[in-house]
Amino acid sequence: MTAKLLEIENLHAGAAGKEIIKGISLSVNTGEVHVILGPNGSGKSTLMNVIMGHPGYMVTEGKICFEGEDISGLRSFERARKGLFLSFQTPEEIPGITVENLLRTAKQAVTGKFQRIYAFRKELKAMMEELQMDPAYAERDVNVGFSGGEKKRNEILQMLMLDPKLALLDETDSGLDVDAVQIVSRGVSKFHNENNACLIITHNTRILEKLEVDRVHVLIDGKIVEEGGPELIEKINRSGFGKIRER
Amino acid sequence: MEQKKTFVEDIERTLYDIRNEDRSVYKTERGLTEEIIRDISRQKKDPEWMLDFRLKSLEKYYQIPLPDWGPDISGLNMDDIVTYVRPGGKMAGNWQEVPEEIKATFDRLGIPEAERTSLSGVGAQYDSEVVYHRVQKELSDQGVIYTDFETAVHEYEDIVKEYFMKLVPPKDHKFAALHGAVWSGGSFVYVPEGVHVDIPLQSYFRLNAAGAGQFEHTLIICEKNSSLHFIEGCSAPRYNVTNLHAGCVELYVKEGARLRYSTIENWSRNMMNLNTKRALVEKDGLIEWVSGSFGSRVSCLYPSSILHGENARCEFTGVTFASRGQDLDTGATVVMLAPGTSANINTRTISKSGGAATYRSAVKVAPGARGAKCLVNCESLLLDEKSRSDTLPVMDIETDEVEIGHEAKIGRISDEAIFYLTSRGIGEEEAQAMIVRGFVEPVAKALPLEYAVEMNNLINMELVGGMG
Amino acid sequence: MTQDIFSEIPLRTWRWLGVNEALLPEELQQVPNDLSNKNTQSFPEKLPWEMPEQISVPAGETVEKIFVFRSEQVTNIRAEVARGGTLNLICIQLLPTDKAYAGKVLVTAGEKAKINYTAVEVGAVHTLTNLQIELDGNGSAADVAAVYFGDADRRLDLNYVITHKGTDTDADMQVRGVLQDASDKIFRGTLDFRQGSRGSVGREKEEVILLNEGIRNRSVPLMLAQEDAVNGQHAVSAGHMDRDKLFYLMSRGLDEKEARKLAVGALFATVLERVPDADLREEISREVEERIEHGQR
Repeated sequence: MTAKLLEIENLHAGAAGKEIIKGISLSVNTGEVHVILGPNGSGKSTLMNVIMGHPGYMVTEGKICFEGEDISGLRSFERARKGLFLSFQTPEEIPGITVENLLRTAKQAVTGKFQRIYAFRKELKAMMEELQMDPAYAERDVNVGFSGGEKKRNEILQMLMLDPKLALLDETDSGLDVDAVQIVSRGVSKFHNENNACLIITHNTRILEKLEVDRVHVLIDGKIVEEGGPELIEKINRSGFGKIRER
Repeated sequence: MEQKKTFVEDIERTLYDIRNEDRSVYKTERGLTEEIIRDISRQKKDPEWMLDFRLKSLEKYYQIPLPDWGPDISGLNMDDIVTYVRPGGKMAGNWQEVPEEIKATFDRLGIPEAERTSLSGVGAQYDSEVVYHRVQKELSDQGVIYTDFETAVHEYEDIVKEYFMKLVPPKDHKFAALHGAVWSGGSFVYVPEGVHVDIPLQSYFRLNAAGAGQFEHTLIICEKNSSLHFIEGCSAPRYNVTNLHAGCVELYVKEGARLRYSTIENWSRNMMNLNTKRALVEKDGLIEWVSGSFGSRVSCLYPSSILHGENARCEFTGVTFASRGQDLDTGATVVMLAPGTSANINTRTISKSGGAATYRSAVKVAPGARGAKCLVNCESLLLDEKSRSDTLPVMDIETDEVEIGHEAKIGRISDEAIFYLTSRGIGEEEAQAMIVRGFVEPVAKALPLEYAVEMNNLINMELVGGMG
Repeated sequence: MTQDIFSEIPLRTWRWLGVNEALLPEELQQVPNDLSNKNTQSFPEKLPWEMPEQISVPAGETVEKIFVFRSEQVTNIRAEVARGGTLNLICIQLLPTDKAYAGKVLVTAGEKAKINYTAVEVGAVHTLTNLQIELDGNGSAADVAAVYFGDADRRLDLNYVITHKGTDTDADMQVRGVLQDASDKIFRGTLDFRQGSRGSVGREKEEVILLNEGIRNRSVPLMLAQEDAVNGQHAVSAGHMDRDKLFYLMSRGLDEKEARKLAVGALFATVLERVPDADLREEISREVEERIEHGQR
């Protein structure tokens, strides 16, 4: 059964007095996979950050509703606790905090339940193996000295462990080799089920192979200029954004 | 003007006749007299040479001016020194007299009841006393001497006479001279050749028993190929009501010996902590310093390592956290005198709520110390715009066959790192605390577990305003 | 007679290190104060402190000034760079080896102004320089690059201070040097982030190559911060020449001195490239090579 999960109405947002998102409306139901396409600088990453509540961006108009509740005034940790997750395009390196420590603390915060250390470790190890990550990485500082591919896998690991209702994936596949994209793609399809949803920014159709895309939105200059089914991906891949931009 | 530094005054100081200043200092300190020193000496039943030493130190104390650099210590009333050193001076007699702020800290830290009650003196030393005696038995079986300093002066007079204030001579600086004149209490440790002391020795067992004050003397001698971990417990029961601490630590690390000296200082916020710590390291020896400075109003603390023998090594790990009203000037000095000596200095400083933290260091490589290596890494974190942080290292190198590297960074927690953590559902204060704990991780790693936990708790208290 | 203090460390430290201040050598203290005397040329090579060379860069313009000091023993330059202006200031000190030299440079930068400062300190038996750059304007920037070469019993005392006052200022201080024989050098480099300098960034790096026992190198990188929203870093590396590099060069048939010349040339290259005059660059390189050739070891 489907229910409205995310509903964005006429969203305007920007940073330092400059409007980047210029009136976006978007709706995602449980069980769905949505894809956002758009040229560089069109505001895709900004949109993701605004949905997640990045304090560097100001919402000037419109609202973001999650499960029927307006969350535009909530802090990022409150949004995470409601079931949002952002896989960062360039994940931060955080010295001194291990992957395990981050995830256990986050899982406790998100679920509100104490995580027994051994049970948690077991779960983490299993998940890491599934993503073909060396379990030794659990003891390493978050993203410090990780390669591009390892950072992205670490994002997927966090998504799977925290099990959000809505996953925002910001170019999780960019800069990865074929095998790494496969692993990430498998991770996303493992995560996705009828009770959650994904909103994906990508330049790469390979990550979508194991997923059934419900809706595609084309974002240009802070506005959604075209929407459609999965066939739109093909169309863009063939002829680029030029045609759409002309309209 | 945004920045008022004292250098105008400093110019004058360098130009004026220094003796002028001495006289004025002398006047304000008339309180500390030869009579008082003789009185202390009598009460301690000092041998003649020690009385002599005290009196000569007093002379030096009169002569030496206050340093013309470092934090402002003008709030220090030198006249009060008389009060501090007067035997039977005002120490907290029992738990009820301990200020609420300190009690609350103990409560939040979860300092065991036994240690806490030991503050109240005789009544309740049962637990630590038992532990202490057991440790004492194990150690004496190995020939290790571990005793309070007054006892050492009498029972191990020859050793004390040979080493006492040879490494930190009273002429070193004004507070070393003061220490030489009025020292009281402290620890004496002698580890014989080849003996490895497995359990860390914690000074507060001793200090409670001795009822030591703020001029305590620590003398540790590690003979050839021995090893020891000594923990100076300044965080818990060493609370006191007076406001000057001028202790002295002298460490002798002989050939092939290893000594780790750990301290977490959390003095009450009215304290001027002007402590002198120095280690002399012989061939193939290793001194490891782990130093955490959290408390006090003013701290000047720069443990120094004199790498005297070939391939002698120094590892220094320090963290300083300066909050409201604090001016913590900390760091290290290393003097490399022999070929193949090496040093690693790794520090983290944090300033918050108007606190000032200074990292100050000196690395000296003498002529002939060929193959010397020294790496310094210091990072400073500012948590708000009211605080300040200064980094002032000096490298003084007199030989070419060296590898000297120094790196320092200053800045604040990145907003992006906070966003990353909060986007995972972690609250903002906790995210900040996690990052700060991560920042001091290199130090926490070097500490015994219970001290690492304590340090984390101190950070949490500063950042989140409480635990849990 | 007490000597005048020429430059000072912004924050004092242990006296035994001898880095808190630089005193003016006695021979330079006799600078006449009487300016009417100027034409009599009693000390023709000296410029009185009271009469700084003034440079003023108008808004939006670029000015380039190259000074080559061959006989002046005391120099004093004061520059103001107005909004959006750029000053390329190049100071090359090639005094004879029996003279002392003391040079002051004070630059203030307005909004979005830029100062590129290049210094070459290879002359004089005793060199003192004091460079102060005040980044007053928001978005102003300083790019400082300097090389020094110490040999024989030469003494160098360099004191560089960049003060970040405006918001979003940027400072880069790169200093490279070589010491041989019994030369003695002190370099104090300070990045001072004042309150209100939000968004400012500063980098400082000193690289010193030590060619023999007997030198004395004192490196004092300071970083002062009264503002949290800044990013500062400094680094110092000091030591002998890279052994592998030396071996590589010598395996190609170069003797040790030739190898040193090449390595020193490589170290100095990025700074010397900022000197626009090819003849001048050539002259500096030749001077340095000659000194390496005549090194005592």
